[in-house]
Amino acid sequence: MSALLDQLSRRQLVWHDDSQQLAYQAVSSGYPELDQQLAGGLPATGLIDIQTEAGIGELRLLLPYLQQQQQQSQRLLVFIGTPAELSADMLAGAGLDLSQVLIITPMKQPAANQKNNQKQNNQKQNNQQQQALWAAEQCLQSGCCASVLLWPAAISLAQARRLQLAAEQGAASMIVFRHCSQTLSLPVNLSISLQPDPFGLQLTVLKRKGSWPAAPFRVSMQQQWPALCLADTTAQPMRQAG
Amino acid sequence: MALFLYLHFPALQLDHLQLSAQSSKLPVALVDQQHQLLQINAAAINAGLKLKMGLASAAALCPDLQLLPYQPEQQAKVLHSVAQQLYQVSSDIALDKPAGLILRLDGMLQLYGGLEPYWQALSAKLTALTYRYQYSCGATPYAAKCLAYQQAGLITADNRLFNNALNSSPLSATELIPAMQLQMTRLGIHTLGQLQALPPAELARRFDSQLLSYLGRLRGDYYHALEYLQPEPGFSRYLELLYDISDSTVLVKPLATLLQQLEQQLSQANCQCYQLLLSLFFRDNPPLKLSIGSAQGEYKAQAWLALCQLQLENLPLPEPVYGLQLDVNHFAGQQHSTAALFNQHQARMSALQLISLLQARLGRAAVTGLTILNQHLPEHASLRSLPLLKGDLVDNQTKAQVQAQVLALRPAFLFNKPQPLTEAVTINQGPERLCPDGWQLAAQRDYFIGRNQQGQWLWLYRTANQQWFVHGLFS
Repeated sequence: MSALLDQLSRRQLVWHDDSQQLAYQAVSSGYPELDQQLAGGLPATGLIDIQTEAGIGELRLLLPYLQQQQQQSQRLLVFIGTPAELSADMLAGAGLDLSQVLIITPMKQPAANQKNNQKQNNQKQNNQQQQALWAAEQCLQSGCCASVLLWPAAISLAQARRLQLAAEQGAASMIVFRHCSQTLSLPVNLSISLQPDPFGLQLTVLKRKGSWPAAPFRVSMQQQWPALCLADTTAQPMRQAG
Repeated sequence: MALFLYLHFPALQLDHLQLSAQSSKLPVALVDQQHQLLQINAAAINAGLKLKMGLASAAALCPDLQLLPYQPEQQAKVLHSVAQQLYQVSSDIALDKPAGLILRLDGMLQLYGGLEPYWQALSAKLTALTYRYQYSCGATPYAAKCLAYQQAGLITADNRLFNNALNSSPLSATELIPAMQLQMTRLGIHTLGQLQALPPAELARRFDSQLLSYLGRLRGDYYHALEYLQPEPGFSRYLELLYDISDSTVLVKPLATLLQQLEQQLSQANCQCYQLLLSLFFRDNPPLKLSIGSAQGEYKAQAWLALCQLQLENLPLPEPVYGLQLDVNHFAGQQHSTAALFNQHQARMSALQLISLLQARLGRAAVTGLTILNQHLPEHASLRSLPLLKGDLVDNQTKAQVQAQVLALRPAFLFNKPQPLTEAVTINQGPERLCPDGWQLAAQRDYFIGRNQQGQWLWLYRTANQQWFVHGLFS
């Protein structure tokens, strides 16, 4: 390489196609297809937005990543506002250290003023949502959490920005599970959308810091979770025959 | 030779009240039940008021005088707290109610290396307390007290000076009851010196034993028993608010002063505490008791205030608060956590601190950990435990199972209440029969893993009478 080009690239005046991977530090997701598409894996810090329906395998996709996050830094994993009770069997089976898991369920607080009854229900839910976001921010900022998982009803642009800043401050990753219908683009490190697939998940990268959008691809879970994939099409006639 | 210091606080209750009030422009006086002024503040003195003045003349001199009742038990509390704070400097302190402290010095002089440095340390502490005080040393407690009442201000160990000062002191500065003082005056005895010059045998014939015992103690001939203060474990302070507070966020301000005092005591003892008990007093309702905990243990007022603030923020007050009481029952030694020197980022707080913070705002039950139990029924296998519990509940068998990864496949989310199955599903795996304890065959459940039309993976079960329910969601 010529001395001039070397000098230019050192002063970052020349753009390299392969420099994009440096946008964030990647942690392997445990699924080879995904790692390949994301150039290394999921971001170790910052906001990760996942648009998904509940129960199609969104948590299974993240379990190896969470396990690594927890093990590398010996810090907490926080689950905030889970849609139902978390099962210890599942988490322990994935190799997570249960003593470093924190579950936060924002409760319905007794409202200070019981005057307006018709508004109360709405207010209560709003309050719960506010508390969940507050708890998430505190966890991220504290610097003693590796990852925070949040199931919000909705999240605004300003709130996402706050969470992103807090996550960077505490060197933690924040994973937000949203419904597919919410199309608002958030300031995130990575945004993916998940679709159910008989053999795993159909994954679309909506947005990734420092990269171009790519075509949807399939993440196969047949190896890790054979019981939660439909049987191979080749095996189908055999079962029918038997 | 024994040496004593007597501290007399002429207006303790009033000074204590003024401490919490910012402005002292208003003339304030305390009156007893005979309507005599007992304690007056600086503004009242400027207005020309004097102690023991009647109410009528006081009101005539100073129309905007504020009157408050004199409460001996209130003052005793303040005196006790003063003694507690002086205990950090001086060891032998005896309370002399209603407004005095007797400090025995001879032991402390050895420590401080003389009277001068000792008095420096003590007076610095007294100035910080901001109560008005009179002081004097003396060879006996009564001698010191008599001199302190005359504002002698003697800081010395010189016996000659004491004797001179005592001999010229008027009888009004002594402990003698007013009737006896009057009797003495009629006899032409006006000073203590004249009284002491009389032979004790003659005195014993004319007066009762009280006088002799007083004189004996004054001279040091009789033993004067003092009950020295023992520092109490824990912390308990009451703060009466100057006006009722109805907004819980405003309570933070007076609370901060209490926490400041707590921090002082904790840091001097090199301790921290895990729990505060805060009582809010109302005029009609019973007091509201709050317990504020910190899993990590704190001593800094700032940290405690932040935790209290979070609890007070969403606390509805039934009516205005007139008093605050802060109690700490148990002190614990300080523990310092060690952190890696070359860590890339410094955690702003520890995990325990984070948990206290979350619990203060969201409530104790909202923040939990998760423990796995050796139970075959899915709803019993997971336990919401205390956060950060290091697996004491987990028995060895479960641990081995976790390590060997032979746990059965369970869904990530379990519904508290199983929902009836209402849609078409494709069964992928099953059945797995689970039966409650005692083999109640009627309650047995056959579990299947199924996938519905939307691609969700459900954990289903069929009861003995062929009803289908969704129990969980593989996520």
